[in-house]
Amino acid sequence: MMSEQPMSKERFIVLVERAGLTLTPEQFEELRHGYRFVERMVRTVRRPRDRAAEPAHIFVHPRG
Amino acid sequence: MDPTLLTVAEASRAIAGGQLSPVALTEAYLDRIGALDGELHGYVLVLQDAARAAARDIAAGRSRGALQGIPIGLKDIYKTRGIRTTAGSRRYLDHIPDEDAESWVRLRDAGAILLGKQETHEFAIGGPDFSLPFPPARNPWNTEHYPAGSSSGSAVAVAAGLCAAAMGSDTGGSIRGPAAYNGIVGLKPTYGRVSRRGVFPLSYTLDHCGPLTRTVEDCAILMQALAAYDPLDPGSADVPVPDYRAALGMRLDGLTIGVIRHFHERDAEAAFGPDSAPSAAYVSAFDNACRTLESLGARLVDLQLSPLVDYLDANRLIMLAEAYALHETDFRERPHLFGHHMFARIALGAFLSAADYVEAVRQRRELALEFAHAIAEIDAVVSANSTGPAPRIDAVSTYSTFERASYTGPYNLTGSPALSVPIGFENGLPLAFQIAGKPFDEAGVMRVGHAFEQATELHRQRPPIAASLPQHQ
Repeated sequence: MMSEQPMSKERFIVLVERAGLTLTPEQFEELRHGYRFVERMVRTVRRPRDRAAEPAHIFVHPRG
Repeated sequence: MDPTLLTVAEASRAIAGGQLSPVALTEAYLDRIGALDGELHGYVLVLQDAARAAARDIAAGRSRGALQGIPIGLKDIYKTRGIRTTAGSRRYLDHIPDEDAESWVRLRDAGAILLGKQETHEFAIGGPDFSLPFPPARNPWNTEHYPAGSSSGSAVAVAAGLCAAAMGSDTGGSIRGPAAYNGIVGLKPTYGRVSRRGVFPLSYTLDHCGPLTRTVEDCAILMQALAAYDPLDPGSADVPVPDYRAALGMRLDGLTIGVIRHFHERDAEAAFGPDSAPSAAYVSAFDNACRTLESLGARLVDLQLSPLVDYLDANRLIMLAEAYALHETDFRERPHLFGHHMFARIALGAFLSAADYVEAVRQRRELALEFAHAIAEIDAVVSANSTGPAPRIDAVSTYSTFERASYTGPYNLTGSPALSVPIGFENGLPLAFQIAGKPFDEAGVMRVGHAFEQATELHRQRPPIAASLPQHQ
């Protein structure tokens, strides 16, 4: 299940500034609450993996 | 006789036999659009003069094939040369492309007539959003209800008889979700089967282009024109195209169909909460559908995969990362041009790291391999689609895409062909399930779907608004 509490405003400001976004106060609050979904998705995919476990999009030579 | 009641297959035969004129058929659809689309908002642009001219040319010319004279619509993310293509956004409100989407070219070359461009969620992700230039499409079974998206206008138009068929796109369910809520057929083909060239992308590695139709046979007819290798689409697959109609009409004796029950019976509520639990009516409809497949000769076996959330969150994370990368410059420099839902959803991609994305893509490979192994000895798979009737359109939240379970994303992640077919009704609104298969086995998937459809007759049920106009009765 998702974390019930959204990230603190102080911490989320850091993410927003790093992303280079300019947000209205309403957008900031909406994204701060929506970020919980990102946290859940990241928790779902971040798990121990063997280094040999490659991603699905390996490099493919372009057709000439 | 109202020619808009005919399926693509029926209309095609009537046109080929000289009993129906493409001009009359096109005019009948334009009449219906004029009478009904003010309430349904399936179209953002109706090409009356161009459609009539195309119909006259088609009628006067040589036969091009099974789509000769068939009027269709395109989701307004399909570029059309010289014709406004907005992607449902202020960002492209006046955009006139100088190219045609390759899939539209193939349909046109097969004789299809373009009635118009159809309402889409903004950039195929941001809706239903009442702040956008175009009002959201309405469910023809109950116009207070949501038709799903993002191929909302296309599905609404097919269900309401405002076109014979339509093209949508599907990154996490945007063909199959609207197909389910509108009581029609929707196919997400195998990744690489239908060219994505000339279609506004949402997520390069998850986007699929595919048809929305009233019947599985109609879907097969469109796929016959659509399926092809496109060397200019980096994701296009150079795989032979079979005869998609050859196996239609066959029983299912000797087929083994895997059933994924745990997605909707356990996983949805476990990961997303009680609001994601399937309705009792849906569980009953799904079980009845499985019994119908058995009565047609199929052997059903239960499949066990990783939890639904593993598939969904990998799909959603990849989509967010790729979609945000596409729109990052505009998000930073002109965010005012985006609608509320588009901005709120895709901006979340800004907070992902490169490592997050790579981990999601590693999980993608793992799950795609898991699925391939699970179905190696199986002919097709059935699983749930939206597990309840369409909600009210004013009850769809900004983050509905992420806060609730959905059942369509797994097949975007695996790239498998997946077909949505109606299985019943709840409170007068349609229900559906999915039939999926091995890569490039659209023929096998449609064989199962067609057999089920013909056994249930659900495809003959249409919303009241789809009734004939007085002048065509």
